[in-house]
Amino acid sequence: MLLSSLLLIPFLGCLALMVWPGSPSPGRLRQITIVILVAQLILSLVTAAQFDPAAPGLQLQEHHSWVPGIGLDYALGVDGLSLPLVLINGALTLVSAVITRDISKRPRLYFAMLLLISGAVNGAFLADNLLLFFLFYELELIPLWLLISVWGGVNRAYAATKFLIFTAVSGMLILGAFLGLALLTGTVDFSLTPVLSERLAMGGQLWLLGAILIGFGIKIPLVPLHNWLPDAHTQASTPVSVLLAGVLLKLGTYGLLRFGLQLFPEAWARLAPALAIWAAVSVLYGSLAAIAQTDMKRMVAYSSVGHMGYVLLAAAADTPVSLLGAVFQMVSHGLISALLFLLVGIVYRKTGTRDLEVLRGLLNPERGLPLTGSLMIVAVMASAGLPGMAGFISEFLVFRGSITAFPLATLLSMVGSGLTAVYFLLLVNRAFFGRLAITPPSGDAAADARLDVQLSSVAPRETIPALALAASIVFLGLVPSSLGSLSEVASTALANLTAGVG
Amino acid sequence: MPVISQDLVQSNLAIDQAEVKRRLLAGETLLTDTPDHVLEVVGVLESYGEVLDAYSINLIYQAEEQFLNPFPIFKFLDGDLNPAKIWRHLNHDRINFEYAEYCQKAMFWHATGGMDAYLDSAEFADNCRRIIAAKRRRDPLLALLNPLFPGFLPELIRSAATTHALGQFWRVMSDLFLDLAAAEREGRVCSIPQVVDFIKDGLVAAAANPIEYSVEIDGERFWVLPPQAGLTFLVDVAVPYVEAVFLRGMPFLGTVSFNAQAQQISPDQAKFTYGALYADPLPSMGAGIPPSLLMQDMYRHLPEKLHQWYLERTRGEGDVRVKICMSFQKSMFCVTNAAINGTMPHPLTSSDTAAQAANAAYAEAWAQRLGIARTDCLAASLPGGLKS
Repeated sequence: MLLSSLLLIPFLGCLALMVWPGSPSPGRLRQITIVILVAQLILSLVTAAQFDPAAPGLQLQEHHSWVPGIGLDYALGVDGLSLPLVLINGALTLVSAVITRDISKRPRLYFAMLLLISGAVNGAFLADNLLLFFLFYELELIPLWLLISVWGGVNRAYAATKFLIFTAVSGMLILGAFLGLALLTGTVDFSLTPVLSERLAMGGQLWLLGAILIGFGIKIPLVPLHNWLPDAHTQASTPVSVLLAGVLLKLGTYGLLRFGLQLFPEAWARLAPALAIWAAVSVLYGSLAAIAQTDMKRMVAYSSVGHMGYVLLAAAADTPVSLLGAVFQMVSHGLISALLFLLVGIVYRKTGTRDLEVLRGLLNPERGLPLTGSLMIVAVMASAGLPGMAGFISEFLVFRGSITAFPLATLLSMVGSGLTAVYFLLLVNRAFFGRLAITPPSGDAAADARLDVQLSSVAPRETIPALALAASIVFLGLVPSSLGSLSEVASTALANLTAGVG
Repeated sequence: MPVISQDLVQSNLAIDQAEVKRRLLAGETLLTDTPDHVLEVVGVLESYGEVLDAYSINLIYQAEEQFLNPFPIFKFLDGDLNPAKIWRHLNHDRINFEYAEYCQKAMFWHATGGMDAYLDSAEFADNCRRIIAAKRRRDPLLALLNPLFPGFLPELIRSAATTHALGQFWRVMSDLFLDLAAAEREGRVCSIPQVVDFIKDGLVAAAANPIEYSVEIDGERFWVLPPQAGLTFLVDVAVPYVEAVFLRGMPFLGTVSFNAQAQQISPDQAKFTYGALYADPLPSMGAGIPPSLLMQDMYRHLPEKLHQWYLERTRGEGDVRVKICMSFQKSMFCVTNAAINGTMPHPLTSSDTAAQAANAAYAEAWAQRLGIARTDCLAASLPGGLKS
């Protein structure tokens, strides 16, 4: 019942918000949402406390037959792969609610959608049935589309529609693969077991795995399926970007490991070299595209494209170390990208722009955003993989686990890691160093030096979520065993399915 | 990208050289006369007066009591070695006397004015010889140092002389600025022209004050700057001070990257434009520019009325030192304005063509120097432009 409560709390909270009597103020609705999400986070922590890291396989399982005719069971379970993601979902949805301010347009719907997404994501991570996973996977689609299309930027309709089309195709491919599995094996058993696929010929496995790869590749996203992400991020509000980058992209990488690698280990081993090259291309393309951006948010979005490629590389190598690195990368990228989007959001709210050709000197101690700037430096250092922070641990594990299997792809990905430092140093140098200004350089240095900039200061309460994220990034970097001990058994078991490609 | 709100960036038009010259010759003040400017200038000069009082006392103490002390560890304590005062000092609950030393070093290095000529004279060298001979009798370290480095102790004495002279100058200025604040409270000063006139009258009244300095060694008094040298307040200290601190200054790290080898800093000191009238009040990065020490000190003595005025604007307490710096630059333009008016070759009302030409040349010379200073602070603030 513990895992069910992780679904029930946000779903019932969503329902309660929708039917709440009277006209509660946006502030009151936000408070109620935060209380619900705190309860969800506490339950996630209780789940982690009850989880036995030494035991392999799914734990705390719940199973109820739902629609036996089509193989849809209400089956939940948690393992070392899904537990960190459940925890990060609880934490980042709470951060999203906390940083949501000034929602004047339909606040009741906004917070209800936030809770609905959180519950659906928990359901997807905990589902022990392919169709149940698909239901939850699709369930988060509509609320997210609403969050972008109703509360987004100027071009929100375009971005939301693009997101909807891409993700709908993703859903169709995934559902097609799941149904194809049943069709080809002649059963209606949708339980999460690799035994089914072993009955299939390699050709059938490759087709189904291909659909899975493209389906989840859209969600991750991998190049060239990434097209929707920069637009969605640019138009989404800051809390939605935090949720999108921190949690929702992880559905793709989680799906890749759970339903690609775990369901089709033989076909996976066959495709692994190509996947490694695909990962390297994705990493390099994402990094080079990030360098070319002048919008801070698009730069962070493209960095996500690059950094998600590391997870594919680790999955392709399929060694215990690389898969542990993949889990680390999912968690650390969730925290780091959430922090980056949050800080970009603060900059945007205070200056009215994210344009790197306009912003300068924001680190100014008197008139700028010194704490925001300092945290941004911490975030970019973590993203670039500096030791002592979460990004270093994940990248080190991924590269260490992949280098023997795919040396070329790993080396190319390491170049991408170096490029992370390039584009984020460009960001920091342009926006935060130098003399404070939020206007394009006029060409007259003396005139630029006479600008009197009047930015309002960032209240401490606005920075608390960012400080908490930064602290967790450093904590994970200094005490990686806190996460490693949860996931080591699961990643080793996953790697043993194919006995490692390398 | 959304359009950036105009409230966030204000760009005051800088007053060009022609306008500076016109205002000087027309008898207008450089700083535009507005009630806000009066509040800012008088308020910030009052706090500056309080700070100068402390600087002056300390500089004179250093020059007299820490004279040729090789390890002046307690030089900022004015001889009061009370543990509570030492604790406050270590806890940085104190005036930044380092800023006074910065100004002294600027004066000493730029070496402009009549006093510098005296410091290089044979008469001064004789004074030094007598002082060193007396001092080394009881000080073995000095007895060892002087033969090894014969130029060292005279240079320290020159530095001490500049220190004392600056202390005397600031004594006068401190009293003048505090009197100005009192005059404003009593209603005798209520506009920028009256502020400039008040300062000019004060400078003129003190112009001929003698600058003298002597030290006592073993009960015997020795002159460093004797009365016979004929050094006076305005010509020998005030004008060199304005030149060294307001105009030339010294380039410092933290604002701009200077590459001396590429001659981004002029090899000609006379062309330096790093003084208080040129400094950007907005520090870049985390480095505090030297004036920021002064702003911290003035903040300690800020009149409540001006403090409240600052609190109503932009980031309130958060950027108060930037606001003080902006007000300080306005007030320094008033002081410079008073000094220029006081040293104008001929009365501005003169109808003599030669006198007018001399005044025009004098105003032109100043306009060339001030035209590239932070004259953007001279205009009236846009209505509501500074409001949060």
